[in-house]
Amino acid sequence: MANILTQNDIRHVDYKDVDLLKQFVNPHGRVMGKKRTGLTAKQQRAVEAAVKRARFMGLLPFIQK
Amino acid sequence: MVDATVAITSETSENEVLSRIYEVGYHIIPTIAEENLEKVVGGIRATIEKAGGSFIAEGAPTLTKLAYPMEAREGDRRISHDRGYFGWVKFEAPVAIAEMLEEMLKADASILRSIVFRTVREETRARMKAPTLREVKRTDTIRSSPRREEEVSAPISEVDLDKALQDITTD
Repeated sequence: MANILTQNDIRHVDYKDVDLLKQFVNPHGRVMGKKRTGLTAKQQRAVEAAVKRARFMGLLPFIQK
Repeated sequence: MVDATVAITSETSENEVLSRIYEVGYHIIPTIAEENLEKVVGGIRATIEKAGGSFIAEGAPTLTKLAYPMEAREGDRRISHDRGYFGWVKFEAPVAIAEMLEEMLKADASILRSIVFRTVREETRARMKAPTLREVKRTDTIRSSPRREEEVSAPISEVDLDKALQDITTD
């Protein structure tokens, strides 16, 4: 999978960007691994933090049935 | 490297109050009347202003569907909500604001859930359009293609048919 963030020149990952974050979670709502997302370590950490904030705020599910 | 650190520490001691960029996100309970939303947001803004903060950006509360039901205490009972008015404010304020704001938001019964965290001054929302599966113009109408006229062929004789079959089977 190509690095979506670098391709679109996205420097910051916002927890409110649900459509962007949805591309980094699988159908069950789990965050994809670094190998699947193709992100750098720094970007992967930013995505993880954003997903966790979005989950807490009810914008993304913790688990998808 | 060492010089830079020294410079930063001296700067902070001069200013005395260290200001940082924060963002607060909140869900207001959906049972609240729309005209009262401004009052709740005004409360948040007043807290920030009182602490000497300045606003950078803001998102007005809009009714959003929640990914999972959230419970809010209303008197003695706990009521589950499946939607909330989601809004956010980005601001710069002294470090003490984070704790103050969190306490204020937790005490407010009309706030379903809230988050306060450090961020950057720049716009963080991505300007990327989510890839759509396919784009179809609304004006496009599907025109039925004219049906191919059935080929009218001369009646085939039994002998010809048998011969053709023979050719196929021998191949």
